[in-house]
Amino acid sequence: MIQLIFDTLATAALVAPAAVGFTLIFALLGFANFAVGAVMAAGAFAAWTANALLGWPISAATAAAMLATAALVLVCDRAVFRPLREAPGWALLVSSVALSFVIENLLRLIFRADVRGYDVPLSRPLIWLDARIAPDAAWSILAAVVTLAVVLAGLRLLPWGRALRAAADDASLAALRGIPIGRLRVFANLLAGALAGLSGTLAGFSLAIEPGLGWSLTVSVIAAAILGGIGSAPGAVLGAVLIAFVEEVAVKFTTPAYRPGIGFIALALVLLLRPQGLLGKPLAAGRDQ
Amino acid sequence: MTFYLIAIATSAGFYLLLALALNLQWGLTGLVNFGVAGLYALGAYASALATERLGLPFLLALPMAALVGALAALMLAALSARLSGDYLAIVTLGFAELIRLIAMNEDWLTRGPRGLAIATRPLPEGLTREAAAIGYLLLVLAVVAIAFWALERIRRAPMGRVLRAIREDALVPATLGRDVQAFRLRAFAIGGALMGVAGSLYAHWVLSITPDHFQTPVTIITWMAVVIGGAGNNRGLVLGAFLVVGIVEGTRFLGGVLPGLDAERLSALRIVLIGVLLILAIRFRPQGLIAEQPLRHTPPGAQP
Repeated sequence: MIQLIFDTLATAALVAPAAVGFTLIFALLGFANFAVGAVMAAGAFAAWTANALLGWPISAATAAAMLATAALVLVCDRAVFRPLREAPGWALLVSSVALSFVIENLLRLIFRADVRGYDVPLSRPLIWLDARIAPDAAWSILAAVVTLAVVLAGLRLLPWGRALRAAADDASLAALRGIPIGRLRVFANLLAGALAGLSGTLAGFSLAIEPGLGWSLTVSVIAAAILGGIGSAPGAVLGAVLIAFVEEVAVKFTTPAYRPGIGFIALALVLLLRPQGLLGKPLAAGRDQ
Repeated sequence: MTFYLIAIATSAGFYLLLALALNLQWGLTGLVNFGVAGLYALGAYASALATERLGLPFLLALPMAALVGALAALMLAALSARLSGDYLAIVTLGFAELIRLIAMNEDWLTRGPRGLAIATRPLPEGLTREAAAIGYLLLVLAVVAIAFWALERIRRAPMGRVLRAIREDALVPATLGRDVQAFRLRAFAIGGALMGVAGSLYAHWVLSITPDHFQTPVTIITWMAVVIGGAGNNRGLVLGAFLVVGIVEGTRFLGGVLPGLDAERLSALRIVLIGVLLILAIRFRPQGLIAEQPLRHTPPGAQP
């Protein structure tokens, strides 16, 4: 039981930050950014470069990866998405899938498809109440919990966070009230990028670091955001924990190879039973293609 | 070289079928489908299993692939029928991944990454290698022609007008008493059937299918053919599909220009170029090379 809770949290730790970033971008910019997985892979490679090539400790490497992916997401927004802000919804969706493949294959071009891992000392798992707790999984949970606590508190309390939530609710009304939408867009992209980078870095502990790393997690991340109610940051965290729980339980009955498929089936069930998500508003105002 | 050109033309034919199907779903009706590769794979495996395991002739396996594709597409559209397009996008994408996982891991059924060998050929035995290659190209082109004709009929028929109206604003046809959901499901299912047919033709052409054949680049290339050809316009797609397959094949020759790249890096570079091209096409020419023509308001003979 303790083991299941711990495994769930360890999996949720690598899904939740990216899901919060995805849901923020969806709320503010109104489109599903499918490139979130590729950004995660980029984060894992950035952390690997800092850690294994430059010899930085993993905490510094994580911070470096978050900075790198924040910059990457901002550049991608400037180059690809911002010019399309007047374009129909499909243009953003399809561009994000294409962008995801550009990023993934740029990684393949630079680093090749070899499987890598961080340069961290091997250590024995801690045994606590009969549960085996791997130190890097414990570090993942700690990093994700601290980061998400700061982000969620900031969204609720700080002026930037309130502005972001206001603009996500109604951008034109927020603009009328003097909220600088352009600068907010930059802020949201930096935040979403850093969160995806954190997810990717943490994913690099439990999964092999290779260019397709993020693609296999994309469905889980988006499923978590939808399950929590798209646009709601606390919802995305809750959704990630639930998706992780379902995955951990389901893997016991099938092979681990099906883990990404379980995320999809969970998503399908959510769409059938409660399409507005757990903490979401009714979808009546949902944007149509 | 001749064989190479025939092979390229044949694979352009598969992509043209996929693009025609996507054009019905998205170009005409506005339903985003990121699961093209999944439906294609489903058709290929359904057809291959029907001939190899059940011993059915190709002429029965082909409609079976169409049926499986239609049912899967129907299920996907029904899952997200009442939601906005972003949900259909993620559902179809997840579906394609699930199909790939099943093909990869259910070894007893699909033989996984080792590949499912297919012995059944649609063409009569005893042809020379050249005649078989040309014969298969003609077979694919014949199916393309039938699909093109049928889809043009749908586009001009009352159904096509309803689908376009749904794409522009679903509220209008709904107000006029059209069952918008039923039309959406129908368009998605017909498209799924056609993708299944494309998969079946592909499977019996390559004669050994692995999950790697059905990865997301298939979906990207199909989208590119529709976007570059011109959404909503079937004639533009013919140009789009051949152009895109030409570009995809043409980038193979980058290896000669950039000798420092090994095969793995070269294939990564090709996908990067294709992705960048799609992003540029969406940004600078979203209506495609040949834009959709507005229909005449009164089709001849429609009103007395």
